[in-house]
Order: sequence, then C-alpha cells, then structure tokens
Amino acid sequence: MKRVFARWPALLALALGSLLAACGGTPASQPTKAPTAAAAATAAATSVPAATAAVTSAPAATAAATSVPAATAAATAAATTPADDAYVFGMVLVGPINDGGWNQAQYEGMKYVESRIPGSKFVYIDKVNPADRPNFKVEQGIDELLAKGAKFVVTNSAEFSDGTNIAATANPKVYFVHASGDSVLAGKAPANVSNIMGRMEYGKMMAGCAAALQTNTGKISYLGPLIDSETRRLVNAAYLGAKYCWTDVRGKPADQLAFKVTWIGFWFNIPGVTLDPTQVANDFINGGSDVILSGIDTTEAIVEANKATKAGKKIYAIPYDFKAACEQAPEVCLGVPYFNWGPTYLKVISDAKAGTFTQSWDWIAPDWTNINNPDTSIVGFEKGKALSADNQAKLDDFIKKLADGSLNLYTGPLSYQDGTPFVAAGAKADDKTVWYTTQLLKGVDGQSAP
Amino acid sequence: MEVSVHNLTKTFGTLRANDNISLRFAGGQIHGILGENGAGKSTLMKLLSGFLRPDGGEILFEAKPVALGDPGAALRAGVGMVHQEPLDVPGFSALENLLCAAPRWALPSRIEARNTLTVLAGRLGFSVAPDDPISALTVGQRQQLEIIRLLACGARALILDEPTTGISAAQARSLFVALRRLASEGNTVIFVSHKLDEVAELCHTVSVLRAGQVVGEGQMGVPQPQDRLLKMMFGGGDHTPAPRETPRRGGSPAVPSAWRLEGITAREGNLVLAGLDLDIPAGSVVGLAGLEGSGQQILLRLLCGQIRPSAGRLRMAGADMAGASPAIFRTCGVEYLPADRLVEGVVGPLTLAEHFALLQPGGMIIKRHAAEDAARAAIAGYDIRAVPDSPILSLSGGNQQRAMLAMIPENTRALVCEQPTRGLDVASARAIWGRLLARRDAGCTVVFATADLDEILDYSDYVLVFFAGRVSRLLPCAELRVPRLAELIGGVGFEAADGRAKANPQ
Amino acid sequence: MTSSDQATPVRPDHRSPRSARRPPLLVGTLALGGALLFTSLVLISSGVPPLAAYKLIFLGAFSTPTRISDMVMLASPLLLCSCGLTLTFAAGLYNLGIEGQMILGAVAAMIPLRLLPGLPPPLLWALALAAGAAGGALWALLVAGLRVGLRVNEIFAGLGLNFLASGVSLYLVLGPWRRIGQASSSGTEPLPSAIWLPTLNNLRVAPAAPVIALVALALIWVAVTRTRWGLELRAVGLNPQAAGRMGIPAARRLAESLAACGALAGIAGAIQVIAVFHQLIPSISSGIGLLALLVVLLVRANPAWVLPIAAAFAVFTVGSVQMSVSLGADSSIAGVLQGALVLFALLARGFSARR
Repeated sequence: MKRVFARWPALLALALGSLLAACGGTPASQPTKAPTAAAAATAAATSVPAATAAVTSAPAATAAATSVPAATAAATAAATTPADDAYVFGMVLVGPINDGGWNQAQYEGMKYVESRIPGSKFVYIDKVNPADRPNFKVEQGIDELLAKGAKFVVTNSAEFSDGTNIAATANPKVYFVHASGDSVLAGKAPANVSNIMGRMEYGKMMAGCAAALQTNTGKISYLGPLIDSETRRLVNAAYLGAKYCWTDVRGKPADQLAFKVTWIGFWFNIPGVTLDPTQVANDFINGGSDVILSGIDTTEAIVEANKATKAGKKIYAIPYDFKAACEQAPEVCLGVPYFNWGPTYLKVISDAKAGTFTQSWDWIAPDWTNINNPDTSIVGFEKGKALSADNQAKLDDFIKKLADGSLNLYTGPLSYQDGTPFVAAGAKADDKTVWYTTQLLKGVDGQSAP
Repeated sequence: MEVSVHNLTKTFGTLRANDNISLRFAGGQIHGILGENGAGKSTLMKLLSGFLRPDGGEILFEAKPVALGDPGAALRAGVGMVHQEPLDVPGFSALENLLCAAPRWALPSRIEARNTLTVLAGRLGFSVAPDDPISALTVGQRQQLEIIRLLACGARALILDEPTTGISAAQARSLFVALRRLASEGNTVIFVSHKLDEVAELCHTVSVLRAGQVVGEGQMGVPQPQDRLLKMMFGGGDHTPAPRETPRRGGSPAVPSAWRLEGITAREGNLVLAGLDLDIPAGSVVGLAGLEGSGQQILLRLLCGQIRPSAGRLRMAGADMAGASPAIFRTCGVEYLPADRLVEGVVGPLTLAEHFALLQPGGMIIKRHAAEDAARAAIAGYDIRAVPDSPILSLSGGNQQRAMLAMIPENTRALVCEQPTRGLDVASARAIWGRLLARRDAGCTVVFATADLDEILDYSDYVLVFFAGRVSRLLPCAELRVPRLAELIGGVGFEAADGRAKANPQ
Repeated sequence: MTSSDQATPVRPDHRSPRSARRPPLLVGTLALGGALLFTSLVLISSGVPPLAAYKLIFLGAFSTPTRISDMVMLASPLLLCSCGLTLTFAAGLYNLGIEGQMILGAVAAMIPLRLLPGLPPPLLWALALAAGAAGGALWALLVAGLRVGLRVNEIFAGLGLNFLASGVSLYLVLGPWRRIGQASSSGTEPLPSAIWLPTLNNLRVAPAAPVIALVALALIWVAVTRTRWGLELRAVGLNPQAAGRMGIPAARRLAESLAACGALAGIAGAIQVIAVFHQLIPSISSGIGLLALLVVLLVRANPAWVLPIAAAFAVFTVGSVQMSVSLGADSSIAGVLQGALVLFALLARGFSARR
C-alpha cells in the first residue's frame, strides 16, 4: 500500500509527460517559407462529411455548389467524372513541407501542377517518418490520399520504394511516381509506377566547383544524409566538380584539396537515431573546412555557417534542393543546386489525367538552354551572393562547358576509394554505371558502405 | 532563559496526551522529565519546540506568552530541540549540514559557519570537525553537531529527548559535561529520559509525567528516592493478577526449550544485544517488558529469523539455525505476528479468501471454493466480523488481528507476537489472548512484547525485562509484582536481575 | 464485541475483487468527461472543429477495411505489451523498459530470419516468435537483476536499457545488418515476402497476429485471476513485506513478472518485424510499449479491461491519422486524448480514494 501511494506523483508525472510528448514534437527544421495559404485552403475545403472512402469534396472555387458528395467508389467515379469535378492528386512526403529543402521543393512542384491544371486539387501527407509518425507506413499514407480521391500519388523518398510498389499493386487504377527511385529500372515495379529523378549530378558539380573556387583553406566538407547509391553519386559529382575547378580553373595541385563527407544516417535529424547535423557542421568548421555542402533535406549547414561567420570566422555554405534556400543567410551562401519538379510533374500528371500514362524510369537532365527556367528545367543552380563576381564568371564558364558537352567529368580514368576502377581511362561512364555508383571516389574522405 | 507552561493541554482524538500541565523550568538549571512510554513527555517537548500547537493553555518564555507556529519560530524565540535520531543529511559534511539546517541570518557565510562550528565544538569539548562527512560520524557526534547548530541559531533553552540512547558511555559523559557548562552559562536544559540514574546524576530538578498529567506536587528537587520516582512513573498500588482460566506453568527445568540462545550478539539501528544466553521453555508464554526500544524488538526478530545474529548460536529444538531465512524459520514452525498488521502482516486490499488461497499448499490453480470454505471456517472459529470476500483492509483492528491469528496454521510450534493487542479495545484484546492461551495450551510457545505492564503480568508465564540493550534472566511471572517490574524497567537493580550477573534476582 | 468491530458491508463480486470497491463507473465517466473536455480545449485552441475531429478519432478507424486492418495490426502488439504490463503492474512494478524489451525482441526475431531463411515459413515464424520472446525476457531480466540485486529502481533501469536497446538496433541497422551498398537508419533489407506472416489480400492484416495477442490475453487473464502465481504476484505488488512473511518469494516473483512481460513485449517486437514492417527499423517499437503503459495505467492490473481499452487506443491512433489530411490538424491529437484519459482517470481515482 505504501509503495502504491508513494508512487502516485511518479504516476501523474508519467501521464503528464506522455501528454506533453503527444502535444509537442515537431522536427528541428528551419522553415524558409511558411506553407502557403493554399495548403490550408485545400485542407479546409474538405470539411464535408468524411465518413466514407470516396471523393467527398470538390475544390472550393468550382464545385462547392454541387453539394451532393459522391459516396461511391472513387476509382469509377473518376473515369466518368464531369469536367467540374476535381482531379485529385497527392503526395507522400518524408519530411515537413516547410523544411527549406527537399520536401519543400517537392511540395512547391506539386503546387505548380495544381496551378497549371484547372480543376485539379492537390492533397498531401507529410512527415511520414518513424520519428514524426511512429508505426506509420507509406502505404497508410497513400491510403489516406486515396481516401481523399487521389488518382495520382507521388512518393518522395528513397525508402518509400517498397511501400509504393505494394500500394500500386493494391490500387492498379491509380498511378504512382516514386521520385528518386529505381524500381522501374530494376524491373520490380508494377505497371502503374514510374520513377523520376533529376540529374542533380550536374547541380552538385556546379556546387563542388563553386566551393573549390571560393575556398581559402582547400578544405571542403559535405554534410551527407544516409548512404546509398544516390547519395554516393551526388557526393562523387560534387567532388568531381570541386576537383576540376581546383586543379583546372584555379591551377592548384590536386593533393591540396581535402574533400570530406560525414553521413548523419537519415535525410534529416532524428534525435537519438541520426548524428546531429548541427554538431557535424560545427565539427567541419572546427576541423578547418570553410565551405560546407549540404546533402541533407534540412538547412543546418547554412545555419551553422552563418553562425560561425557572425562569430568572426569566414565560412561558406551551399545548401541543397530548394531554390530559395540561400535566403536563410545570403551572405554566406555560395549558391544552391535545386530541384524544380513542377514542369516534370505537370507533364506526367497531365498524361495520367489524359489516360496516357506510360511507365518509365526518367532521369532528367537540366534544360541546358537555361538551367534556371522555371517552366522547363528540373535541375538548376542559383548563384549566391557570397560567391565573388570573379568566381561567378568562372562558374558560368564551367556551366557553359557542361551544357555544350565539351566537359564530361565522368571521363576516365576514375577509380573508387579502394582502387577498383569506376571509369576506365579514356572511357565515359554510362548512365547505369553512374546511377549504381557503389563507392565514393578515390580522393573523397568518408565512408562508402560497400 | 526561563521556560514555563501553564495549563497546557493537547488532545489527539479522545486521548489527552497533555492534560493541564503547568511547569516552570528556570534558567541556568538542568531539568529532568521522567515518565513511561505514552506518559506525554514527547508531546510536551514537541509543544515547547513548536512541532505541535497546543489545544489549550499557554507557553511562556521569560514569562511572556508565545505562539509557536513551527520549529523555526521556537528556535527564533530561543528554544531548540535535539531529537533522539538527529535530523541531518547523510551525504553532507558537518559544515554543509550546519549551513543548510541553519537559517540565513544565523550563519551568513561559509567562513563564519566554519568559525562558529570550531569555536563551539572547542568550548563544549565536542569532537566534530567541519569537514567530517555526516555518514562517518557516530550518533553521539551527530548529536553534538545538532547542539552546535541550535546554539549557533541562538537557542538559549535546549530540549534533549533521550539523548543517551545509542551513544557510548564516554560520549554520554562528555555530553553531560557540556550540558552542565551550558547550564552554568545561564541556559536552560530540559532532559527527557527514563533512566533514573542519569537524571539523578545530571539534573537539578525532576518532574514526572503519567497519563498526560504531572504527578504529585510537580517539579521536585534532586535527589529523590528512587522508589518514590518509580511509584510516580508506573502508578501506585500492587497489581493483583487477573484470575486465570488456565493453570500457570511453573519454571520446571524438565520442560524442553523452544529456543536456545548461546552467546548471541545482534544489532538493530543503534541498539545492540550482546552476549545473550537464554533458554525459552516450550509451551509457555514469555512476555518481554521494557521501555520501547530497549531491545525487545531485536529479540523478537531474532527468534523468527528476521535479523541474523552477528555472533553466537541460535538453536531451535536442538537444530542450529545459523544463517536461516525467515522462510526456514516458518517451515520449522515459527510464525511471526507483527505489530503493524497492514504493513507487515497482511495484504490489505486482498480479501480474506484470497489470503487463505495464498496459504493453500502448492498447486497452480487456486482452489477458490476451498479458500472460501477456509475463510468461512476462520470467520466462524475466530469470530471475525466479515465475509470471505471482505478485503482485510475493510476490517476493524480486532477483526484484522483475529484474522491474522486464524491464518496461522494449527501445527505452529512457536508464535512471536509484537504488541498483539495494539490498538484493540479491552474486549477484543481479551478475545485475542483467549486464542493465544489456547494455542499455548496446545503446546505452542508464545513470545510477545508489549508496553502494557498489566498485559505482561496477566498473561505471561515468564517475563524478560529489557533495559538499554541488557536483558534480565527469565523471571517466573508468579514472583513478580508491578513495583518490582517497574524498577527493573527503569533500570533499578537491573544488575542484580541481569541473567549474566548470576546473582540472586530477588 | 464492541460496535467498532463491524466490518464494512462488502458487495459480493467474484469477477474482480479490486474493482469491486471503487465505483468504476463514476471514475470512468469522470475520466472520459475530463479527457474530452481537455482535448476539446486543445482542439479549439488550435482551430480544429472538435466534433469533426472526434468523428475521425472515434469512427475513422472503421471507415475502410484497410483502416480496420491497420487498427488490428496496431492493437495486436499493443495488446501483447499491455498483457505483459498487467503482470508487472500487478507485482507493483512500473516496467518503463518495455520499449527496449520490444526492440530486443525484434532484434532477436531477426536472428533466425537472417540465419535460416530456407526453413519452412511456419517453422521460421515459430522460431522468430520464440527468439523474440527470449530476447525480450532476457532484456527484462536485466531490469530485474538491477532491481532485485542492486536495488536500482526499475523505472530508471528500464529507461536506461531502452536507450541501450535503441543503440543496439541502430548499430545493427547501420552496421552489420545494413542493406547491401547502403547505410541508412531507415532500416534493414526488407524480408522476402515468402517469410512475411501471411496477410489477407490487399489488406495489411496478418490474422495470426491478433490471434496470438488474444491467446496471450486469455493466458494472462487466467494467470492473474485464477492461479496461485497470479495471486502471489498481486500480494507481492500490494505489500511485499507481508507477502514475504506469508512465505512468498517476493524477489523471485518480481523477476518472473518482469521476464514474462519482457517475453510478451518481445513477441510484440517479433510481430512488428514479421507482420508489420517486414524489416528491422531502429524505432521498431514505435512507442507501442509506452502506449501500452497508458493502457495499463488506465485499467490497472485488471486484465478484463485490457482488450477494450487497448482496442480503443488503437482506434484513436489509427482514426486520428486522417486528421492531417482531412482537417489540417496534427494527428498527435490521439496522443493528447490518450494521455488526458489516463491523467483524468488517475485524478478521478485519487479523489474517489480520498473520500
């Protein structure tokens, strides 16, 4: 009896604690832009009874008057839908839509599509990761979107591959894009799944080049997410760009360039699971690096570089993924390689809406006529204020060479960290070789996880 | 400082713990207060030191009435109390303890505290250094630290509650020297004790409390005849034994012993029982008398295996019980009835039937009906006011005690009871004793401890008297009367009655 | 006898002697009312219409067959953990280490799956479940050892071991058990679908999981209410001193209850591996252990109530998933409701016990 009463306060504390835990818990991301009001509007528009799994709502703009919610099966309804019924498409995002990086770029891409297809409606579920939604799988997220009437779903993270395929098999009438995946290439995807990825290698080469042009110490660091072939090839591309601009543009000896990558273990910080990217960025700075390239979804690299610069050091950062990422701290930003998903998604979703979806594995290069054209180019590079005018000119020159094909950094001889050849001397790497990069390149300091 | 109380009254429920007490403790003197357990000494002291608030009457310091809200207020007014078990923080050093226990105004800085401690310790001949960790100090040293703290906080009247319990003779001597010195400097010392010789040695005056009231003419000068004080403490007249339903068993040497203790030494807290030799005859009732905390508890717990002797040998029916756990004692037929029934005795929220289910021998699945039948049988046999589904918690004290007795197996060879009738009314107590004596008549040995002298004399076959960790020899109850027992409990003539002294007890 | 010897009248209630003495209906109503009020305040303050939110929370899990199956697959490990915690709760222990025990169960279940993938699947499942139980039990016995041997409070021992368990699984996921060519904390290579616990077509429900959970619940119910062992556990939990006096080996019963709880949590972890995630992920326990703790705080050691409460909690959790898509609100509102329920139940019990 005594024990029980003595523990009463402990019990209360426990219950209170769990309550607080439930109330709190947003991930540590630095939003650059608040989610647009449109997102709230789409969500608010769905306040009509949601008890059944069907299209229960129409866009507020058009169909609010036709207030008979079709409680019939969504899939059949879609095929015979009159023009004033919305075409619903959705996205499952691994992180928050305002992470200032990968997820925000993906989200903006979908908003672009929504604005370009009249009478369409975008629904999404974000933060589908074990830290924010424990015990929640991508299939469940997809189901939520399907319940909102989605006919088309994009999943945006590498680890969603299996779940996307499972959901696609279960919902053959819905089309899926698994962004950054390769299950189509590997022949494992059902027919209603496509893969799309931008050739960010070029963006990373530009980033690496900018870093090498501006660095004073010759020490460049790369804040890596988890290790897989995608992240390896992006690190390698950045390294190739840096090496080229260090040796061929600045004319410095290759052995004076230090290029280090530290992997945190996931796309963004999950306390207790990943390394803390803030901590890693500071380790880079304390280790003498003066340029930090970000490979993760969130913005710790530029935030920490800015802090260090304010504290009297001269540290630069190159964020990743999202066009406006430099706005966080323009004075330390050398530029940002970013994704512009809008045009690509617009095309594939328009095709699906028109009934002309065809399965493909698309690895799409930037629009070399203007890599920053928002309506054509999937990959771009936004130069930052911190990059000197002289170096901007040199970078433009570098980009021009990439564009006209006169410079192919995947030209051999290139070897992996352990000495095995990546590209033979004189040869140029083909797409599959680059896509399935198995190791970091010789010259990069970091773990390859072979 | 003069401390006096006028018509002071404090009640707890129906109990008048202090009943119209009027006493005056003059400054510059040491005042002894005597009384048996429950006489009201502690209540009086707690009232004086602000731990309790009076229900009636008044407390006067220097002839001015004061209202003491809490111990801090009492201390500010100049009265401090040294508890039997000093209140301190084991992880701290002496200095840290002094700092955290003293109010800010008393010791404004660490350096000042260090100086005060060193100076006071030197002046009073105490052996406490500022950096000694509390955990390394003896009880005596902790008491010294407490006295230093109170003086540093400005106490001019000190109340000491049984200060010589648990400290060595040398420490007691140095304590007395310090107390005399404090008194000679004009302070008031109130010395609460039940040891007549200490009071006689140390005090200038003595007052005796009994049943919450001051006995006789109030404060008396020392010396006083011992038998007078004892009579005042334990009450007057001769005790006539209650008529016995069963013949009292004599101390015939032919009776085999239930327990045999050979040179047993055991310790609990500050108290040590040393070199105890004892035979407890089987099939008799042995009452353990003595003021609370004189060592009865240690013996009780030794007898049922709850504490293990640090030296010596304990035999039961010839078998050496060295290192045996309470479970082994149980299998040997020893059952223990704790005083605190709901803490140690029964599982309050479980029902009577569930208790009997727990007592079922083996078997994985509970035999619910058998347990309920057993509970019903106990209810009938022991006159328990309950149904088998009653949680023990919901029973009255007497019913709980009878239920506990009912749960003791019939074949038990020995029963160790701690205050078997604590908190029970007269009728319930008599019923419990009826059961216990019936057990004895069936051959069971009963050892019990109680503070009630009448209970000892009414039901015991033999009596063991405890005084400050010393044990008398086994005294046949028939030879005892209240005055003699009171003397022994007060430590008078104890050497003579001491089993180890081998002298004639009478 | 005097009048003080009157026993208080006791209603005969053979099902559950503990609940008989409290007015459970009153406590339940108070708790539910308080929790709803509190949650409504939270909802209103964040601009979400409470009625629509409650509709989702209470009924959302039943809207489609897949949601029902999600609910079942959440309820199954939750039920297993709650069963385990019922035992430790009966023994007066707060086994906060249950998350770690679940994780270790999942890790242990991976061992036969990785080493012997060629075995016939049913045998493999049995092995994985057994390994999971063993792993969880061993981890719980560490808590027991610390508690009984070194007198470390089981709450702190459990929490410490939770961190250690996450570390172990993270190390395995990023290290020896990582996917070929990858190192991602997202998980190990998915198991081949041949050795998944069979799921119903197009649903994510593996019927074996709820069956295992219900069998466990039945066993625990019998153990707690019918066996001597269960009664002894309760006696130890309510009053270890008195239990010891009555000859019950208290320390041993504590260790046994922890081991049994660990074994059940380990089975839950194994189910998470072979029936839910089909891989080992670092956060395989997904907070289910802690949710189970809330369940058991609510029902106390009374196994009869475990099923409805665990099911209700699973319904809330799965139902509230739709909150973010449908109402633009955070789905953690289910956590608020669950936490508030427990809090108000404790408060209500506290008040009714005071009176």
